[in-house]
Amino acid sequence: MTLGRDAMTPLTILSVSETIYHNLLTSMVQDIVSRTTSRQQLQDARYPGLAPLHHDQRGALDVYGRPKPQEASVYFRCPNCSRDLSANRFAAHLERCMSRGARRG
Amino acid sequence: MTAKDKEALELRAQIQQHLVESGNYERISNKLAQRLLDEGWIDQVKKLTRETMEDDNTTNFSEVLKRVEPEAVSLVSANTKNEIMQQIKAFLCDILDTQ
Repeated sequence: MTLGRDAMTPLTILSVSETIYHNLLTSMVQDIVSRTTSRQQLQDARYPGLAPLHHDQRGALDVYGRPKPQEASVYFRCPNCSRDLSANRFAAHLERCMSRGARRG
Repeated sequence: MTAKDKEALELRAQIQQHLVESGNYERISNKLAQRLLDEGWIDQVKKLTRETMEDDNTTNFSEVLKRVEPEAVSLVSANTKNEIMQQIKAFLCDILDTQ
């Protein structure tokens, strides 16, 4: 923090207050910008060419910007009970199938 | 630099030192930070910084700061600015009274 920025303006309570306020605010801006830029630099260094994930407000596209597949048309085989399951029921099935006390077979 | 300017600089330095030593600088700074967080200013500035980095395709601190700072300063609500300015002025009036 320095108060020398506008030393040539006449010294009044208002001018000194303005300077102090401005210093407080700009040091916060500097802090945010420095954190954000160094974070980006670190990310660029670690994962060069990383594209940001896609965000779709309506929820019709996935994180890569592709239309979401009709989940009901995809089937998975459960590795636990070897049944074929629709993808949109898969998580719910696993939870029941693999939980303790589930019916086996 | 005239003797008067020198004197003014010295006075500013004294005020600054007193502000920090009395703990008022930290108090006002914390208050400002809390206000800015509450009104979403911090998030706005973060977003602005990310957008600037993307638009200019740079992560250079000084370049980004040069573009972000003026807009960030103007984004602060009048309420917050007035309140903080009041506190600083009150502090300055206090010193003037005691001296």
